Amino acid sequence: MTLDLRGVSVKLDGHRIVHEAGLLVDDGEVVGLVGPNGCGKSTLLRSIYRALRPSAGLIAVDGDDVHRMPAREAARRTAVVAQETPADLDFTVSEIVRMGRTPYKTDTSADEKLCVGALERVGLADRTERIFATLSGGEKQRVLLARALAQQTRLLLLDEPTSHLDVRHQLELLHLVRELGIATLAVLHDLNQAAAFCDRLYVMDAGRIVAGGPPDHVLTPELISQVYGVRAVHRTQLVFERLAD
Amino acid sequence: MTSEIQQDVTTTSTVNRRGRFGMLVVVLVVAMVASTWLAVSIGAVPVALPQAWGIVADGIVPGLVPRTWTPVQEQIVWEFRLPRALLALLVGAGLAVVGAVLQALVRNPLADPFLLGISSGASFGAVTVFILGVSALGGLSMSAAAFAGSLLALALVYALAQRSGRLTPSRLVLAGVALAYLFQAAYSFVLQAAQSGRAAQQVLFWLMGSLGGARWHLLPLPAVVLAAGVTYLLLQHRPLNAIAAGEETAVSLGVNVNRFRLTLFVLTSLLVGVLVATSGAIAFVGLIVPHAARLLVGADHRRVLPVTALLGAVFLQLVDIAARTVNAPQELALSIVTALFGVPFFLWLLRRRSVDRAVSVQ
Repeated sequence: MTLDLRGVSVKLDGHRIVHEAGLLVDDGEVVGLVGPNGCGKSTLLRSIYRALRPSAGLIAVDGDDVHRMPAREAARRTAVVAQETPADLDFTVSEIVRMGRTPYKTDTSADEKLCVGALERVGLADRTERIFATLSGGEKQRVLLARALAQQTRLLLLDEPTSHLDVRHQLELLHLVRELGIATLAVLHDLNQAAAFCDRLYVMDAGRIVAGGPPDHVLTPELISQVYGVRAVHRTQLVFERLAD
Repeated sequence: MTSEIQQDVTTTSTVNRRGRFGMLVVVLVVAMVASTWLAVSIGAVPVALPQAWGIVADGIVPGLVPRTWTPVQEQIVWEFRLPRALLALLVGAGLAVVGAVLQALVRNPLADPFLLGISSGASFGAVTVFILGVSALGGLSMSAAAFAGSLLALALVYALAQRSGRLTPSRLVLAGVALAYLFQAAYSFVLQAAQSGRAAQQVLFWLMGSLGGARWHLLPLPAVVLAAGVTYLLLQHRPLNAIAAGEETAVSLGVNVNRFRLTLFVLTSLLVGVLVATSGAIAFVGLIVPHAARLLVGADHRRVLPVTALLGAVFLQLVDIAARTVNAPQELALSIVTALFGVPFFLWLLRRRSVDRAVSVQ
């Protein structure tokens, strides 16, 4: 397996935000993490990419504890598209993507090619010399994904990757993530999207993982009403499909 | 097909940028040599440019050029003007580089080398030894006292800003600003309590920056510290970029943020301490030069740092020439001259969108 969490608890300022969470993401699997606002999804994700240290439990990537390996080694295994956007200094798009090579400390033409390839992959090859801060929210998100791709890891973490995107770009990004074929753990907001794009889902509520499994097993009306306090109804609805290119 | 064309575009523009960077470095090195040459030639005792060149060449390799100058000219150029000109380059480069690094470290475009209170500590040390007299503090020279003051400030800022060994940008800025006020109050008190008005005036002049005290024996320390510091920073251009992009970004890119921040804090503080000890607190160099460098070559520290260092060196050389000549035979304090350039640039910077963005994030 690629990502393995066991009994992970995370405290922030003495408050326990995540209680003994456990989850698995296998090679090539796209796994969604859903739950109401403030349930601890992002906190759990941050403890996986070492922005936070768990107070208890084990977080293993490819079998090794991420909090016991050098920072650089962890960054060679795990890439992140988080919500924080770098905007203070006028970095260009290609400089931002180039940062993805930081854990490797190399500067060859192969690195250059990787970065160009990553930008092509997200459809922004024509924006390389633009100032990152001047891009639209959706373009920024895709640049950050390109940076994560340039990092060449076997595990990808996404924190609400579709939050700034219009419906077309949401679908494109999720399709792209699926096509990558690398293990992915994504915090998602939209339950319909989560159900459509993930192999498996974990549901978090008040810091605990309360359910896990294939989407149609997990997202039952009972669980949704228990976790979100809303009534879920199966209905025929508008379904958005990406048009063939 | 499209992607091939796009790739071509990318490669060419990167090549252009690198070409431009190389050109810029060459231009700046030439400007540095030219401005230094001018600096050793200009002054109360005029020395023509060829003679100035000859004196310097003769000083490095005796007997290289036929002597066409007087011993007085030689003494003035070799013993006073040349060390002063070289110190201008060192201090200009050093303050500018420290500014660039601090702007990345605290992620605020308005950061400058004096933000963290280090220079106020240095000034406090210098003022105390100057007023109380050298003997009062066990024979410390003014610059040694300034350096001791900066170390004291460093220790205090660190103690206030850290929480279980971690530094955050906001706490660093708060602790730095608070201590700067404290040290300013302390040296103002010492100045006021001093009996001699003349000594107080001399100290005030020094506080506002002067390279007038430059002698050969003062150069090795700042030169070595600056060379070591800049070399280290150039090797760290990737983590510098990552940390400028944000803490979590840097963490996710494999940078040990806590350790790196601490290293940068100590390194910049030592640099500021050494520089302020030799030349006083010269304002604006560390604030405006990094921005000018970024306008020229973008935000990537691999290009920003060398351009900032060279630009800072040339800038301070020109500022010192102006300070010596504008009101001759009186010298202007360097901060007066840098403010003339600095304030308009600063206001222009304030009106730029990026500053609003950065400040609103804080």
